[in-house]
Amino acid sequence: MNFRVITNNPKVYRVYAKTCLVEYQKVSYQEVLLQVRHYVQQGCRILSHPLSGSVKPGEMPYKSIMISSQAAGVVDMESELLIEQCLAVCNSFSDAGRRWPACVLDDFQYIDYTLIASAVESARSLG
Amino acid sequence: MTKLKAVHYINQFFAGIGGEETADYLPEIREGAVGPGLAFQQAFGDAAEITATVICGDTYFNEHPEDAQNQIVQMIATQQPDIFIAGPAFNAGRYGVACGMICDTVRQRLGIPVLTGMYEENPGADMFKTKVYITPTKNNAAGMRKAVQTMMPLALKLARQESIGASCEDGYMPNGVRVNFFEKERGSKRAVAMLVKKLAGKAFTTEYPMPVFDRVDPSPAVQDITKAKIALVTSGGIVPKGNPDHIEASSASRYGEYNLAGVRDLTADTYETAHGGYDPTYVNEDADRVLPVDVLRDLEAEGKIGSLYHTFYTTTGNGTAVASAKQFAAEIGRKLKNAGVDAVILTST
Amino acid sequence: MKLEMGYFNIRDVVFGTGSKLDSGVLTIDRAALERLVLEDESIKSVVVDIARPGESVRITPVKDVIEPRTKVAGKGGIFPGVISNVETAGSGTTYALKGMAVVTAGRIVGFQEGIIDMTGPGAQYTPFSRLINVCMVCEPVESAERHVYEKAVRMAGLRAAAYIGSLAKDAVPDEIKVFETLPLMEGKAAFPNLPRVAYVQMLQSQGLLHDTYVYGVDVKRIVPTLLYPTELMDGAVISGNCVSACDKNTTYHHLNNPVVADLYEAHGKTLNFTGVIITNENVYLADKQRSSDWTAKLCKMLDLDGVIISQEGFGNPDTDLIMNCKKIEAEGIKTVIITDEYAGRDGKSQSLADSDPAATAVVTGGNANQVVLLPKLDKVIGTLDYVTKIAGGNENSIREEGIIEVELQVFTGATNELGFNTLSAR
Repeated sequence: MNFRVITNNPKVYRVYAKTCLVEYQKVSYQEVLLQVRHYVQQGCRILSHPLSGSVKPGEMPYKSIMISSQAAGVVDMESELLIEQCLAVCNSFSDAGRRWPACVLDDFQYIDYTLIASAVESARSLG
Repeated sequence: MTKLKAVHYINQFFAGIGGEETADYLPEIREGAVGPGLAFQQAFGDAAEITATVICGDTYFNEHPEDAQNQIVQMIATQQPDIFIAGPAFNAGRYGVACGMICDTVRQRLGIPVLTGMYEENPGADMFKTKVYITPTKNNAAGMRKAVQTMMPLALKLARQESIGASCEDGYMPNGVRVNFFEKERGSKRAVAMLVKKLAGKAFTTEYPMPVFDRVDPSPAVQDITKAKIALVTSGGIVPKGNPDHIEASSASRYGEYNLAGVRDLTADTYETAHGGYDPTYVNEDADRVLPVDVLRDLEAEGKIGSLYHTFYTTTGNGTAVASAKQFAAEIGRKLKNAGVDAVILTST
Repeated sequence: MKLEMGYFNIRDVVFGTGSKLDSGVLTIDRAALERLVLEDESIKSVVVDIARPGESVRITPVKDVIEPRTKVAGKGGIFPGVISNVETAGSGTTYALKGMAVVTAGRIVGFQEGIIDMTGPGAQYTPFSRLINVCMVCEPVESAERHVYEKAVRMAGLRAAAYIGSLAKDAVPDEIKVFETLPLMEGKAAFPNLPRVAYVQMLQSQGLLHDTYVYGVDVKRIVPTLLYPTELMDGAVISGNCVSACDKNTTYHHLNNPVVADLYEAHGKTLNFTGVIITNENVYLADKQRSSDWTAKLCKMLDLDGVIISQEGFGNPDTDLIMNCKKIEAEGIKTVIITDEYAGRDGKSQSLADSDPAATAVVTGGNANQVVLLPKLDKVIGTLDYVTKIAGGNENSIREEGIIEVELQVFTGATNELGFNTLSAR
């Protein structure tokens, strides 16, 4: 497996933990982006769009992003620009400390899972 | 309905006092409309009345911005107007900056709606269009009639505290705040019309200008630094003591060029900063902290660089319009190139 | 390819015994329509209702809006590969019932959005407030998974639209319009001096509830390809997209694609409209690269002078939009892009998640974050339960006297990125 999924979505962890490299942490949406940036600055490439999904940052708590599992010797500038751009967008949406009922959280987990699932499918078919 | 009250700001020139020779004219308030204010008064009709006009010389305003603004704000406060209008300044740079600055200050200190007008390339436009409403005008006073026609309805809207529409609806410069409104044609129709124009090489206006980042490709590395002639250029405002060329503390309209022949070290007695945007204490103690002449002289003596170029260029970056900065840079660059300078160290603050 | 469109102006829709279309009045046999919806085992119940322009009615959460159509002559059928067989559509004769739509609603996920107000300040933001809407609120059986339920509601809407459309089969349309796109070389010969223009349509394809289908194929799995514009009019593209109400393209939008309509309007006069390129908006970056490379390649192969690129959604699709624009411009082909903005409630934030100086010509559908206050309406079709959770709503959404504070993004089609509306921003 040549990719790693950075996520704060427990469903993504449950589904993929056995078959893929998944790094799960109970952190905020923004912190997932920051973690991805950390990896990018170590030389990893971003493989799935950090702002996937039509539910905006601040309107949903979960985020899963796919990056390359191997770090290259140099920083991939496209990945670096992309994650910085996405962080800027993310910061411009405030979540106003929203709380969601459990059933809605479950739906959010499901949606985030389906988004990353489509990336996993593409990654696997490309080998 | 009661008449709305307006106060108008103009410079010494539009007040009919005189040109550059009287530009140090002190702030003064006169009853009623003066100069271009008469055109506004006519346009307002019964809707509003210019109760007073404040006049100030451009040089006085720009050289004593704090004093000028304190006096002017006090004068305006006595009138308790519903709207404060400045200019229009057309392409007059210092007048434009004064109009923008006094509007911004009046808005902040008195909480009164404000409006000014000027040419889009006036440095005041760049500096203040995101802070106050500015109506774009022609680049000279021949555009007065048109300017008054555009500014008048917006001034009334502002005075009545009505909600302001999109920039293209109410005739102000785009100010970075996106405002929704209904167009006459649907989006797809506008897209087709825009494409047809673009294909024909005709002018068209995008509805969302992409943010532009001015990128400069780095020059190739200096081949042999030990032979290179190095120049110093700064936007940190370092000038010979006394600021002989009166480079402005902010929104610089000029840059200075000063000879460094024989200068080994910048001292508190010989150099200072003209910059008004940072605490000058430490740089006035030792201006090498911003313009490192001492270190470069050392490197020169050690043979680590070829030589330090005998002239440095300086201006204040504080609020200086991008257009002015570009113009300075083009001139300075040309001079350095002609002088055979190999590399430049740019310092900022 | 040539398609004759016959339009029926629907003046009213009523319930009655025996569905029929008579002099602009559509009678729907409610029980028959309900039976049609309940053919799907995962739908437990359905409530069918009618909402007319000006009535004090709020429809929410809206899933899809579909215009009833039927094929009366020529190959294939309506919604090919989904309702009809997969044969290529877009030629012959098709009838459309104008002034009305089928609206599907139901809770697929708990944060679902999509409001159509038939009156009041909200009505001006959704084009569907001007239609007579046959609303179907579908409830799933308890065991139905979300994706099964989504598909069931999607299919129920299409079946209902095809059923209602078929009532026009033997009637005489009020108006007939003919649309024709010639094969490439013939088109070039017919309009030798006009610039060759195509339409690049980006389709939402990020995953479940963010999907679009072309001839029944999940758009995630396509590579950019060519369609005759008339194929869209027969429902070659249908929406499975349930998220981001304001800028998702409903099936109604695909059937009545405004870019197609306005390019046909200019066809033969100021430009030569050569065809439609459809492409996707996948989340996997290598997919984006392939799709944008191929889109630019197709534009070059077609020897185009200009294209209009439309978008669907925000964030991830902004990247596709800019990639397409940049690469097509790099081929020397002029572009105009259509998008919408998320500039914040105060309008001060960066509007798009991506940008490039090549995008010199942009049309915007407005700032989706603009705040609107909605009064209480007399009747709700669907449920207001989700208004607090929908995009742009929050826990303070419902205020005293039932006034709701929401962002424009809750309205179905409000900031449409096909350029369907007059709303814009500066």
